[in-house]
Amino acid sequence: MYPSVIEEYLRPGSVSEALAAIARYDEGEAMFLAGGQSAMQAMKSRMLRPQCVVDLQDVAELRGIARDDGALRIGAMTRYVDIASETTLDGAFGALRDAAAHVGDRQVRNRGTIGGSVCWNYVASCMPAVVLGLGGTLELAAADGSTRRLEADDFFLGPLETARREDEILLAVSWPAPAARSGSAYKKWGLVRDALPVVGVCVTVTLGSDGNCTQARVALSGLAGGCQRAPAGEDLLRGCNGDADAIERAMAAIADSVETHSDMSADADYRRQLIRSIGGEVAATAFARARGG
Amino acid sequence: MKTITVTVNGTSYEESVPERMLLVDFLRDRLALTGTHVGCTYEGVCGACTVHLDGEAVKSCMMLAVQADGHAVTTVEGLAGADGPGPLQRAFSNSHGLQCGFCTPGILMNMSDFLARHPDPSDEEIRSGLVGNLCRCTGYVHIVRAVREAAREMREGASGVQA
Repeated sequence: MYPSVIEEYLRPGSVSEALAAIARYDEGEAMFLAGGQSAMQAMKSRMLRPQCVVDLQDVAELRGIARDDGALRIGAMTRYVDIASETTLDGAFGALRDAAAHVGDRQVRNRGTIGGSVCWNYVASCMPAVVLGLGGTLELAAADGSTRRLEADDFFLGPLETARREDEILLAVSWPAPAARSGSAYKKWGLVRDALPVVGVCVTVTLGSDGNCTQARVALSGLAGGCQRAPAGEDLLRGCNGDADAIERAMAAIADSVETHSDMSADADYRRQLIRSIGGEVAATAFARARGG
Repeated sequence: MKTITVTVNGTSYEESVPERMLLVDFLRDRLALTGTHVGCTYEGVCGACTVHLDGEAVKSCMMLAVQADGHAVTTVEGLAGADGPGPLQRAFSNSHGLQCGFCTPGILMNMSDFLARHPDPSDEEIRSGLVGNLCRCTGYVHIVRAVREAAREMREGASGVQA
């Protein structure tokens, strides 16, 4: 449990310097270090053996939560503690605070970042499922000066896999101004308080003026296949008014349609039960937030 | 090797360290500040190595020493004031907030940051704040009591109403 030899440690002061530093090394030899609350574990277990570590702590342009006329942009180096304490993240963005406030423990939340979490895309983590469930856009920049924007659906490819190339840096996760009457929520269940999610559910809904759901996104964490949408449940949520029976049917459809696995934390059937239980609670909260309650 | 300058407990140290050295080993092996403990072979799960980085509680096994270059670190050795143990330390003594004591430095460092941000916490908030620290003696009841007592004493001290 000690990192392998690191030959060079760099602390660039800007995105362009960070990208230039990574570009000097061949693929797989250098890595960005954000908050390090996952990456340091992987380095100590020798799963990652970087020759060069490019520490992003001084890149101020990667930090911060910006609101512009309802739109939201969260810099990749923004920490969980900063997201959890950002009280403007309510209603449509409530899931972000739900998740950030319960990642790991307060020491982890003082260091860990949203960007580090989504780029690592560990199966038992909350932020990838929340960004997917909220339909975020991931802004990436490359050393040649080019940038691209990827929808969350195209960014998360599977456990520990994303569409980010090694020579790219994640700048931010962003959302346009949400539609009126939108709400989101996230909740996880773990073996002890704030533990890694055995199962987590994120629900986002938008309601029409009649109170019926017009748009729905559901994403799950904790499954062996990685963070994933649950279209079976989304279809059933659309059109409903959020009554308990409709939510129960939607979550049952999700539990029946996704592939769950058994491990030391929970068996496959229990994971299905967790999806129904947590999912029902989360969906009810998302509807309430969409109604402004 | 990289030369770093770190302020620890108010003293500035300039040291040449291997890039892969963990902050906890820098504190213990280079600066001989062995109050910061390693309770889980650097797995990041026990919280015994918790220190303050620029005033915030972090696990020092989850950082490289080079990452602390230019920053201020406070360890448990720096927690006491000029006139001896502070209210949090006294409360742990008075409320018997420890059994074997191995986890205590990390808990003190986490809770001193916690109380600075939550001066009047409920027991539930204290327990949530302690999630990142394992007491393998399972002495949490007394630990929670000690934190609660410390919070009370600090509030009364701040308002000038000494008990």
